[in-house]
Amino acid sequence: MKMKRTPALLALVAVAILAAVAGSVKSAVAAGPTITIWADADRKTAVTQLANAWATARGANVNVVVHDFGKIRDDLGTVAAADAPDVIMGAHDWTGQLAANGLVQPVVLSAATRGQFPAYTLNAFSYGTAVKKLYGVPTQIENIGLVVNTSLAKVPTSFAMLEKEALAFKKKKAGNLAIAVQQGTNGDAYHMYPFFSGLGGYVFGVNKAGNLDPSDIGVASKAFLKNAKLVDKWNKEGLINSKVDSSTAQNAFLKKQAAFWITGPWNSDTLKTSGLKFKIIQLPKIAYPSVPFLGVQGFLVTKYAATHGVESLAQDFVANYISTPSAQAALANASGRWPANSKAGASFSDPVLAQFGKAGKGGVPMPNIPQMNSVWTDLGQAWVRSTKGAGAAKAAASFTAASRAIADKIG
Amino acid sequence: MSATTASSAGMPDEAPKGAIVPRLIAFFSGSVGVAVKLALLAMSNALAAWAAYVLIDRSQWIALVALLVTTVGIDALYFGRHTLPAKFLLPGVLFLLCFQIVPIVYTIDVAFTNYSTGHILSKSSAITQIELTSLQPPANGKQYFMAPAHNSAGDLVLVLKDQVSGVTFVGTEKGLTPLPQSDVKANAFGITAAKGYSIIKGNELFSLDQKLHAFHVPTTGESSITPQTISTAVELEPTLRYDGKTDTFTRISDGTVFRDDGKGSFVHADQELEPGWKTTIGFHNFGTILASKALRGPFFRIFVWTVVFAASTVFLSFFVGLFLAIVLNKKGLRFQRFYRSLILIPWAVPGFLSLLVWQGLLNDDFGVVNRIFHLNIPWLFDANWAKVSCILVSFWLTVPYFFLVSMGALQSIPEELNEAAHVDGGAATQIFRRITLPLVLIATSPLLIASFAFNFNNFNNIYLLTQGGPTQTNQPIAGATDILISYTYKLAIATGKGQDYGLASAVSIIIFVIVATISAVSFSRTKALENIN
Repeated sequence: MKMKRTPALLALVAVAILAAVAGSVKSAVAAGPTITIWADADRKTAVTQLANAWATARGANVNVVVHDFGKIRDDLGTVAAADAPDVIMGAHDWTGQLAANGLVQPVVLSAATRGQFPAYTLNAFSYGTAVKKLYGVPTQIENIGLVVNTSLAKVPTSFAMLEKEALAFKKKKAGNLAIAVQQGTNGDAYHMYPFFSGLGGYVFGVNKAGNLDPSDIGVASKAFLKNAKLVDKWNKEGLINSKVDSSTAQNAFLKKQAAFWITGPWNSDTLKTSGLKFKIIQLPKIAYPSVPFLGVQGFLVTKYAATHGVESLAQDFVANYISTPSAQAALANASGRWPANSKAGASFSDPVLAQFGKAGKGGVPMPNIPQMNSVWTDLGQAWVRSTKGAGAAKAAASFTAASRAIADKIG
Repeated sequence: MSATTASSAGMPDEAPKGAIVPRLIAFFSGSVGVAVKLALLAMSNALAAWAAYVLIDRSQWIALVALLVTTVGIDALYFGRHTLPAKFLLPGVLFLLCFQIVPIVYTIDVAFTNYSTGHILSKSSAITQIELTSLQPPANGKQYFMAPAHNSAGDLVLVLKDQVSGVTFVGTEKGLTPLPQSDVKANAFGITAAKGYSIIKGNELFSLDQKLHAFHVPTTGESSITPQTISTAVELEPTLRYDGKTDTFTRISDGTVFRDDGKGSFVHADQELEPGWKTTIGFHNFGTILASKALRGPFFRIFVWTVVFAASTVFLSFFVGLFLAIVLNKKGLRFQRFYRSLILIPWAVPGFLSLLVWQGLLNDDFGVVNRIFHLNIPWLFDANWAKVSCILVSFWLTVPYFFLVSMGALQSIPEELNEAAHVDGGAATQIFRRITLPLVLIATSPLLIASFAFNFNNFNNIYLLTQGGPTQTNQPIAGATDILISYTYKLAIATGKGQDYGLASAVSIIIFVIVATISAVSFSRTKALENIN
């Protein structure tokens, strides 16, 4: 036994040393500071190219890590400091939660750069209960619109015309949908927002300081309740149907079982390859302009950049480089969205995205305060309850209940 | 999924191979065995060495000590000669510690904190962050192109150029000194040279990061210029001031004092400074559960539904599974194997997939179920029907498991018993009630309990099928089909400002107590069953 043990112990030591060496090699390679960026798989290539160009110019290094877009916001709160990114890609409606958690750093843009961005895109990334600060540089914008199959229906100029055309098309054949707008069991407040705003609803009011006010909930605003009977009417005639989910809506439009589809630029490739003739407009005005939610994506500097000692570099990348028209155009191309920078937008051409852009005119950025977490499900469910055919609840009651539930949750 | 987990909880014991332990010992005493053992230990040590390296890199000293103790312990144990039982027990104990004890301790720990949106940093980080976000540009605040530089004495200074007027300065910790514009050269990237100063570039510049952010060039009043990026600086003034002695923030404009409220925030009346920090708040979360009507209100209703859901899934699946097993156990049945494999299909398809498919099948306007049967049932849209759907789909997923289990139990019943009963003139139903069922129950009752406990927390089935919906009027968080665990999840992610891990952990502790009690009582009852023998 003793004879066997000596070489064995030696082997153990050898393996252990090898492992330790292998571990240390990695960190010895890079000279100069490294900026770690979390980007999603779709934009990894574009972000890597941009970041490398920037890093070469500055003499720094970058490490682009692919991170599922939907998880970036929450994972930033739980990641160990050593693995944390210095810069993240994000959606503007995360701003409040990230800032309230203290996970992101304010960004300062020069007056000249600010001028290149539509005010709402910067506002979308600004948050603060006392002092409002900008937390991100916008890169792309997106919103939904009403896609009209022009071989099946005329482009409506008023809501009454849309209603007539859509119902006439629905009656033509069993299985046809009037307006293909997705809801499903759990509702979809985002896709229903144009109808909601058109009836006079809003999510949060704005207080004197110009901040969104979580105590002013407009889910059952007076204006909306006054028009809520229209929802009951639409439900009765089948203009919208809460049982339509995202795949049902898409299939119906592509198979010519719906002449009207409410969707966004993520389906622009689907539309382009569908071979259908279509035009994208804003949902016609109901009682008020039927504006969609606006979504802005961008780059943010995390608090970990300071921990890692690379904050000025990370700030330089985001504020001085990502904001430039050329970087914006590259990102827009990679993600199939319109660039946020108007200079980049002026030289950007994509007929479908341009139409979606027009459909977003006057739109409202999704509220970026963390209390929005309490709204999505209830607002979506209020629509589901009031548009599920026979046996649906009256819209006024349904939205009033939702409003109370949201207020309860926010507390 | 229900089936897989439940099965690992206790498939019918394999026929005991009495010789397994001695055979294992014999194997590991042979030369091949020793080599395998050494290879495994070497791997464990290599893993430990790598982990130690990472832990040292991150200054996790407690974890490092735990790692070293464990690794040395493992080596000592497996090289030792008089530790035979421990050699068998250790892997299990380690896994129990890692995957059961640690998460439980962590959950209990979190339940007594305010860990939630706005409360995830440490207090010192939160103070830094409040100070940082309270800065605002003063009236006529300026923005500058900036280059850090050394002056002739070698001190750090900032060469500044007003972004609007182009006026140039040198900034020190004492203040601004004008610099002739002709002395400063700049390109698109910023300032490149300044007469009399050596601009800091490259790695030296990058290494100054923390110094730069602490560098303030005072201007008028409270305002100062601070570097923002490596090439720009901005004039800002604070709106709040922290006093370390009294541990308070004071608003400069009106002297309002914000105090530590003991719950992880600086507050004044109902105004709260963001961010807060993570701290221990005692039984506050449990108090919230009891005090908040929105949380307490649905708790009992959800509890009842959870029990109904778990119990009906288990009993329905068990009896149907047993029935199918008895039918297919009949001797001489043709295509027996074919039928058996058919029944196993729901188990073979990943649950995640079949649940989503079921969601589509049950859509009441466009789903296959309503179309084929010419029904108009709101499977997922009506509170009661949604409950029925949940139970039916869970039943569909669990039947194969109980079919298999019953099949095993049936085959282990000695044939003589049945024959004897026949000879004694027992009717088929009597034989089933008096002989088959009790004997099957002995083997399966622990599995029934395990399956019940599993379905009690069967998050996947509920969340993938209905997400707890449809929502109930007047009950903000809980939907009609929410079971306790999915309700907890919703509490954790979708209330107030977003995540509330502390509250959710407190609820999961309560759920744990409930499940543990039910299981303990049931297991003690099954002991009585075994006495039938």
